[in-house]
Amino acid sequence: MINQEILFLSILTSSLMCLLFLLLLYLIIRKSKEIKTRREIESYKNKINNQIFSIIAQGQVFRGMGCETAIKQRAMEELLSRYVKILEGEEEKKRLSDLATHCLQGYYQKRLKSKRWSYRMNALYHIEDFHMTKLLNEVVLLSKKKKLSHQEMIHVLRILASFQFKDLLDLLLNHYHYLSEYENRGILMRLNQDLFDQFVLSFHKSTPPLQFAILDVISLNKAIKYRVFTENIYLTYKGEVKLRALKALSEIGYVRNIEPYLQLLYSPNWQERMVAAKLIGSVKEEKGIPRLIELLHDQVWWVRSQAGQSISQFPNGKAILQSVLETSKDAFARDMAWDWLHKGV
Amino acid sequence: MLNVDWLDIVSVFGWFIAVYMVIVIVFYSVILMISLFQLRKEYQLDRIQAYEDYMDEFYTRPVSIIVPAYNEEAGIIQSVRSLLSVNYPTFEIIVVNDGSTDRTLEKMITQYDMKEISRVVRKQINTKPIKTIYQSSILSNLFLVDKENGGKADALNVGLNFSHYPYFCSLDGDSVLEPDAFLKVMKPIIDSNEEVIASGGSVRIANGCEIKNGHILKIGLSNNPLVIMQIIEYLRAFLMGRIGLSRHNLLLIISGAFGVFSKHWTIEAGGYKTDTVGEDMELVVRIHRLLKEKRINKKIVYVPDPVCWTEVPEDMTILRRQRRRWHRGLFESLWTHRGLTFNPKYGSIGVISFPYFWIVEFLGPIIEFLGYIFMVLCLFLGGVYIEFAILLFLLSCLYGSLFSMAAVLLEEWSLTKYPKVSDIVKLFLYSITETIWYRPMTVFWRCEGIWQMMVGDKSWGEMKRKGVSK
Repeated sequence: MINQEILFLSILTSSLMCLLFLLLLYLIIRKSKEIKTRREIESYKNKINNQIFSIIAQGQVFRGMGCETAIKQRAMEELLSRYVKILEGEEEKKRLSDLATHCLQGYYQKRLKSKRWSYRMNALYHIEDFHMTKLLNEVVLLSKKKKLSHQEMIHVLRILASFQFKDLLDLLLNHYHYLSEYENRGILMRLNQDLFDQFVLSFHKSTPPLQFAILDVISLNKAIKYRVFTENIYLTYKGEVKLRALKALSEIGYVRNIEPYLQLLYSPNWQERMVAAKLIGSVKEEKGIPRLIELLHDQVWWVRSQAGQSISQFPNGKAILQSVLETSKDAFARDMAWDWLHKGV
Repeated sequence: MLNVDWLDIVSVFGWFIAVYMVIVIVFYSVILMISLFQLRKEYQLDRIQAYEDYMDEFYTRPVSIIVPAYNEEAGIIQSVRSLLSVNYPTFEIIVVNDGSTDRTLEKMITQYDMKEISRVVRKQINTKPIKTIYQSSILSNLFLVDKENGGKADALNVGLNFSHYPYFCSLDGDSVLEPDAFLKVMKPIIDSNEEVIASGGSVRIANGCEIKNGHILKIGLSNNPLVIMQIIEYLRAFLMGRIGLSRHNLLLIISGAFGVFSKHWTIEAGGYKTDTVGEDMELVVRIHRLLKEKRINKKIVYVPDPVCWTEVPEDMTILRRQRRRWHRGLFESLWTHRGLTFNPKYGSIGVISFPYFWIVEFLGPIIEFLGYIFMVLCLFLGGVYIEFAILLFLLSCLYGSLFSMAAVLLEEWSLTKYPKVSDIVKLFLYSITETIWYRPMTVFWRCEGIWQMMVGDKSWGEMKRKGVSK
């Protein structure tokens, strides 16, 4: 009886061994090929680097720029990725984009249809980086695929945003309403003024994550243009939206009438106290200073820290903090004052 | 008659070991499959690209890096230097000098021009008293906390109390971080909208690599067989085990060498426990437990990318001590939380993870050890028992060597970190020999660990470092 088991196990072990050895062989071949390809790519990169540079920097015509083999395409992709990170001028970016379209359009069209997820993802990254607007249709087509992974979908929407796709508002409101705040923000950050205005106009129809994202984009851009809108949101909404609006106002650094915000420094909600303190610091409203000093004793660390930062933003902030450090009886307040005196700002 | 009965017991015992091994093999195979799909999906994904989009998000999640240091004068400056060049927007470094008896403190003070500062530290976790706090006058984000000796866990707790940021990471003295380590481990936290509260990455072995000023210049392979076997072991544990477990939130270990935790949840769970040798695993278990008891849906994940390179023992004595200590740490964590075992209240952690760690990780060595004794015994008994010995040997080949070989190939297939063809061949050939020498040896050491525990030996076993950095 036991002989059978031994036979079975020996066959299993040895066949698995063989399988693993075959795999090893395959991987060895693959690796040596990969090493060889890498070398070829590097040498081709060295060869065309100067030419590419003059095309991008000086607008030389790129006739005869061969991209027919996979090695040349990969070399081109790598070189362009390097340049796209350091380019500043619009003109140069445009030239790079044209060159990429000329050389790599077909390559990415194929890659977008690849069965391999990582190929499709990489293609999406590069299409956005090189701003290859001619591939817009292919990207839209990809978004309609049935089994699209979440990451791909997010990236497709980001690309549509950077290409200023007209129907994006409709897509986000009606088809992709389940996106998280962070994902929405990544998309909205890429929009130009006109398209972003559309989102601002339909703020009331949006889901909370989209609303947060809109307010965050305003605050990241410190967009004073939306000051009135943000103040209105602050007045009409409650809870988190109100708080975000307040944060955006503190980034914008200007409000029409400071009085209602001064009251907020006494709010029972610590988040409100914190953001209000931030606002007072950024608009530098002298009337708020006495309360800010009191907030250095607040029971919540975040409020104390923000109060310290806000005080340090006033012209005489250092002197105020110094006197707190010398006179206060509260160890935590002294600590916070010390902290902001030594931030080295 | 009596004789026959005795032989019956022998075969029952033999079958027990065989069945145990088969079950474990099946379990490993399942985990291998899960890892395979996960790794394949991300093959050749352009990762640098993927991190660029996150820079703004990283800004809002600063990290405190806690470096507990006990007599680390040889490596501490290098470690801090490598940390200072880490690619992450906002972080602070807190070196906690755990009552060193060498010149660790003086070296730090002179190198980074540390100045004494007066600070109130909120005691969220009870620790040994702090003596002095210093801040570097060159780098405002570098702090040095001098405290009374209390062990690694206590030093980490002091660091936790002192830290200012919502996430923290603990780091061993002589580890070298990949420049993008924080980007890699923070990404899942951001992606999940903070549903992930702790995240760790693969740890690789630095022996044999060329390291300068805390940076890996060239990845290489050591010539020491013991080191090579440990590389294989790490590959197997990280690539196979942890990816598979992490996929279903079953992870009970985030390597002590490198992991990022949410400070809020760590403090909620009570910080590091000071009277165990495996404080890192114990913490992960306790966080899991807390989450389940509060019915909060949070996760602990693992990233397959290598994030940290660490030095491993190069000779038998130290390796032996390390393994004995590890096994004791494992037992202590499992024992402290034994109530979770097969407890459906704790979901998959109680029903799958805990039994897995008890049966495979903890009891495994004992059963394997008995298996080896049994094999030798069978050779003496002769006859049908020889066949039994062969059967067990074949099973342990499957169990040991084959999975290790597969792990090496998996590395080459998906991550391809070793640059030369010869490296892979060497790793592969060594992994074949695992069943014959390395596995029995480590199994024996782990059993020793259990034995020491039973007789109540509490000695720690210090890890001597040679220093891998130039």
